[in-house]
Amino acid sequence: MNQHPFANRRPTPLEDRAYAEARQHFAEHLNQYPASHDAMKNLERNLASTALAVSAAAAKSSPQESPIQTGDGVQWYRAIDLFDNLRVLYRRALYAVEFAVMEFFPNGHYEIWNRGYNALDVLRAFVSEQRQALQTWADDLKAQVAEFLAEKNPGEDLSRVIEAFVLKCTTESVPRKQTISHSHEQKYGGGIHI
Amino acid sequence: MDTLPKVEPRPAPAPERLAYSVEEAAAMLGVNYFSVYRLIQRGKLKVCRAMSRKLLVPRSELLKLLKTD
Repeated sequence: MNQHPFANRRPTPLEDRAYAEARQHFAEHLNQYPASHDAMKNLERNLASTALAVSAAAAKSSPQESPIQTGDGVQWYRAIDLFDNLRVLYRRALYAVEFAVMEFFPNGHYEIWNRGYNALDVLRAFVSEQRQALQTWADDLKAQVAEFLAEKNPGEDLSRVIEAFVLKCTTESVPRKQTISHSHEQKYGGGIHI
Repeated sequence: MDTLPKVEPRPAPAPERLAYSVEEAAAMLGVNYFSVYRLIQRGKLKVCRAMSRKLLVPRSELLKLLKTD
């Protein structure tokens, strides 16, 4: 089992200071990684019900929205929004319905991440790839923190700080209370005032 | 006697960067970090590694993505 880097010996004053510097410098990673990780965990936990919602949307007799046409001329309809700029779309092929997870970028660019004829399989493949992307993120963050601390504290061994920081970033969850109130606020425009 | 207006020396133009960090790439694309790591993971955004092993996104790769569509 992995032990916390500071479990056996308390951090030195230098390590304390370095940790605080890293926290400040990489605050946006500390903000974004747990949110992305939680979004993935949530999708993974609700994979079957999400696939059902996708299939149900595709089964509707006529799509409500105008289609999105990809470069190959295929027209896709929105089934559900996942998170960030990610959506699950569908199209009616000759004998079946095809599903795709797509990401839409602000400049109009889009990427088809996964596609197939079984909604559950498409979502499962997507989740599996996102796990790898999160690992790439964690590895890069570790390298960035190491470089940052080495530049600020040349010659010092701050490996425990690096390990502790990455551990914090990759294992911390977004506080549930905060998430709920935030989404509630967005949805209902700041709450009820009496 | 009139004096010539003092002309401030223009700062030299900053040399164009060859590569950007993931954070900078995300800001340029207007997306969050996860989107950029997704692009990297899938090979849609080719990256190189600095000596420290951190990922760097070449300017040419970013321009390619920004110009698509």
